[in-house]
Amino acid sequence: MAVSTKAINARIKSVKNTKKITKAMEMVSAAKMRRAVDAALSTRMYASLCLEILSHLARVDEPNFPLLEKRPVKNMLLIAISSNRGLCGSFNANVIKRCGVLLQDKQNLSKHRITNDFEIEPESDVKIDVLGIGKKSALIAKRNGLDLVAVFDKLSEKPTYEDVLPISNMVVDLFLKKKYEKIAVVYTHFGSTLVQTVKIRQLLPISEHDLEKTLQQLPKEMDESYKDPFPIENYLFEPDLETILNTIIPRLVEVQLFETILESAASEHSARMVAMKNASEAASDMIGSLTLTFNKARQAAITQEISEIAGGAAALE
Amino acid sequence: MPIDFKIVTPYGVTYSDEIEKVSIPTTNGMITVCERHAPLISVLQSGEMNVHKVDGSTINVAVSGGFLEIQSDSRVYIMADTAERAEEIDLSRAQDALKRAEELLKNEDKLADVDFALLQAKIEKELARIHVGSKYREVHLN
Repeated sequence: MAVSTKAINARIKSVKNTKKITKAMEMVSAAKMRRAVDAALSTRMYASLCLEILSHLARVDEPNFPLLEKRPVKNMLLIAISSNRGLCGSFNANVIKRCGVLLQDKQNLSKHRITNDFEIEPESDVKIDVLGIGKKSALIAKRNGLDLVAVFDKLSEKPTYEDVLPISNMVVDLFLKKKYEKIAVVYTHFGSTLVQTVKIRQLLPISEHDLEKTLQQLPKEMDESYKDPFPIENYLFEPDLETILNTIIPRLVEVQLFETILESAASEHSARMVAMKNASEAASDMIGSLTLTFNKARQAAITQEISEIAGGAAALE
Repeated sequence: MPIDFKIVTPYGVTYSDEIEKVSIPTTNGMITVCERHAPLISVLQSGEMNVHKVDGSTINVAVSGGFLEIQSDSRVYIMADTAERAEEIDLSRAQDALKRAEELLKNEDKLADVDFALLQAKIEKELARIHVGSKYREVHLN
């Protein structure tokens, strides 16, 4: 009988307190997750409509628009979306890991894919910079020895469209000034509460190939409407195609960025919820086994006391 | 054949219904879309959109910039940056926002071109909101 019941009791109490905290965090994350998922899902409709119109327009002719221009890649910008806070399971670790894997093959990463078999090869030595969203994203640049252009870590829990505008303006500006020839974003796609996958999506230049790939990933919300696509040649354009492209293309960049940020937020909250759920369960298990040890120790103490008393009484006789 | 009509913003589908006709502010002026309209892609202007429902009632919606697509089989999609139903508009907040934007615009020499354009767009948007909101109030609260 070496373990004192008092020490075990203190231990149980502290685990119980921790469990209370993780339980509370789990519930907070669950509520936040529901909101974030709603936001992410409602953006998907807008994003897919924009993408569809643009992929229709791209069929008319390849208009000479700066944001569509495909130059051989010398410098590339990787936007990595991570969380601002920890305690969310492997959420950030997954993003960092995926970036590490992607960065091992820079040549492949910086190719322009025009169709499945036609590609523009990048220059031999590609320089890749990182733009981080969320505090933890700085680690990606640090671990891979890359330059960090900027970190946006002031995004609120519930980002609005206006919050994203400064980021997209900056990105578009960098592209137009020809600092980068390709800009891609690494984000966490929200599949369900349990399934989140880290994905990469090309943001600029806008390419038809990538748009179609993205469209396939997005769930079709109005599948019937595009069964028989109306020939785009019969469309009227008011005032003209150029003005329309001028309106749609910057919005497309914004909305893609907005959508990826919302998807990441939804993934973050669900990752945190699952992590906290696991922690609460682990705490319950621990309390169970500690209680068992406590009872054993108590029992042993009582037995010992009784035998001592019995021994004492026997000695008196 | 009623029109399948949807207003979509980055925050989700604001309005979705089958309607008779709709008047839409575009950069080329107001257009009214009835059934079997020719397919069209156009750019939205901040302003007031009048949705005429099948049962004869109308709904006013304040929209700011964006674009619209009309498909051949009477489907109309409005992709607006923001869209608010008349009854959702908080008039006093809209007026405050307008005042703030106008004050900022007064210091125009200090502003970059981009900010200037943004402020003008903002003023247009708030004006449209106030217009739609006060019209609704006149009809429903008096």
